[in-house]
Amino acid sequence: MPIHEQSLIRPENLVRQDKLTIDGVDVSGDWSTFIETRVVTDYNEAMQDEIAALPGGEYIHRCWQCGSCTNSCTVNAINPDFNPRYWIYLIRLGMEEELLRDKDIIWQCVSCNKCTYACPRDVVPEGVMKATAHWLELKGHTRPSTATVFDEVFSDQVFATGRIEEGRLMRGFFARTGQSLTQEWLVGMIRGLVSRLPVGLLMRLGLAAVLHPRTGGWGRTRQAIADYVAEQDASRRTALHLPPAPEARR
Amino acid sequence: MSHPVLVLGGGPAGLSAAHALASAGQKVLLVDKADRLGGAPILSGYARLVPSGEWAKDAIGGMVDRAAQHPLVEVKAGCTVTQFSGTPGDFVAVLSSGERRPVAAAILCTGFTHFDSVNKPEWGFGTYPDVVTTTQVEQMMSSGKGVRCPSDGRVPERVAILLCVGSRDRQIGREWCSKICCTVSANIAMEIREELPKCSVYIYYMDIRTFGLYEGAYYWESQEKHRVKYIKARIAEVTSNGQRLIVKGEDTLVKRPITIPFDMVVHAIGMDPNVDNLMIASTFGVKLEKYGHVQKAPSYSAMGGTSRPGVFVAGAATGPETIDDSIAQGQSAAMAAIASLKAPVAVAAE
Repeated sequence: MPIHEQSLIRPENLVRQDKLTIDGVDVSGDWSTFIETRVVTDYNEAMQDEIAALPGGEYIHRCWQCGSCTNSCTVNAINPDFNPRYWIYLIRLGMEEELLRDKDIIWQCVSCNKCTYACPRDVVPEGVMKATAHWLELKGHTRPSTATVFDEVFSDQVFATGRIEEGRLMRGFFARTGQSLTQEWLVGMIRGLVSRLPVGLLMRLGLAAVLHPRTGGWGRTRQAIADYVAEQDASRRTALHLPPAPEARR
Repeated sequence: MSHPVLVLGGGPAGLSAAHALASAGQKVLLVDKADRLGGAPILSGYARLVPSGEWAKDAIGGMVDRAAQHPLVEVKAGCTVTQFSGTPGDFVAVLSSGERRPVAAAILCTGFTHFDSVNKPEWGFGTYPDVVTTTQVEQMMSSGKGVRCPSDGRVPERVAILLCVGSRDRQIGREWCSKICCTVSANIAMEIREELPKCSVYIYYMDIRTFGLYEGAYYWESQEKHRVKYIKARIAEVTSNGQRLIVKGEDTLVKRPITIPFDMVVHAIGMDPNVDNLMIASTFGVKLEKYGHVQKAPSYSAMGGTSRPGVFVAGAATGPETIDDSIAQGQSAAMAAIASLKAPVAVAAE
């Protein structure tokens, strides 16, 4: 029988023995090719709730699979494998291994929100994409994205001092993402700044870089933020069935 | 108008027709083959009705009292009509008790018969005790016993509802949509989720036809509030692994075969023509349409007509129908009957 859906045969499902003899008949190589089953044998009912517990994913259960999100999607027009409708379905029914096959493209959402406006059921697919990318990171399926690293360095500094000091922020971000501080464009930009900025401002920048000043009376605010972050983090970890954080971020 | 109007069948349509006729001062002879009035909602023990949410025994029970207690309504329960002859305004009906009763007109409110799931053996009904019908689940709810697996009485953790059982199926000659099962299933799914919050409910569908306003209150509500999951798959077969039922099919949205375990499988059974329709048609001299429902006359000039003048029809006797629409049709058939008695000779326009 011809196989009508070649696309359904996945390389990892092809089983082939280089040496195989059955009842004295040599069926080595292509003669022993089998295709492993694609049957879904159960639903992971926790998955929809896990995504729904993350910001943006709250309304995923409303989806009725009309495909408006995929049809309106900016990224899908360029990369047909980027299919929000399909991922929402996989999440809703808990087909985790199927979703993980696309883990390296889900982050490509550009947050244009065309899907959000097209969706007849207010699923907010853009939010679901964000929540899904977040879920993949928290579960350890993908490494934190560059944007996530920047957010962490940025917010860590704000939480610590109540302020942003750009030089420190950039140094921290570049260090965490393994980027050199002596890149030509960066050196050029800093030279330009130094030659153009007023001396008084430069001195204040320099002092801030050395002394890390804090906002006055920041201690109590800092503690309140730290408590809130720890609480949010803990509730997400519980919702995602993850062990408690080894040490809370502060 | 000395003769009563014969109303055959005491379900929602018949009760509505009888009450409407009596309210207009017309005597009624209400005949039902069952030993009590109420029709399918009462005899089959339905739970909460769509769309009112009222218990069937209260809502339809109220209709029974209203009709049966009316001084102009004479009830003959446990009785059928064996012969029917005469002309409009002057028919004679012979009852199974042997009585000959002159009647002015007749309204057939003979309803439907629930599809018997044994006719779809691949879906496990009759083979596995935990494969049940929507009617059985209604009875579990209306009896107050709650939704439990019939095999061992355990609380199900996962329930599958299969739509279009005995509907839209050329293999078994049921080409019609039974109209109510999608909405009833969504309603049942929500009630299961309310009674058993830890139980997941999956609905396997070909299309969802929660028509009109049922879209919001049933289809959307069941997903948005009650987290019922809808999966587009016509199930191939229901088997068992010894512990749980196994539902096999193809999830058409991901193009993948599925074999999913369930504790309970519910058939959303459709509405067959009344099994007695051939007898009824022959007794009353009315035509049936091709599937065996009572054939309706065109309704542009008068509602509720059949192929025979003086004999009217209302409700699910004409095809799958909701309770609300059956009630409306009962009233309109009553109106048509009264109109035909007041002006028995209709002059055709030349």
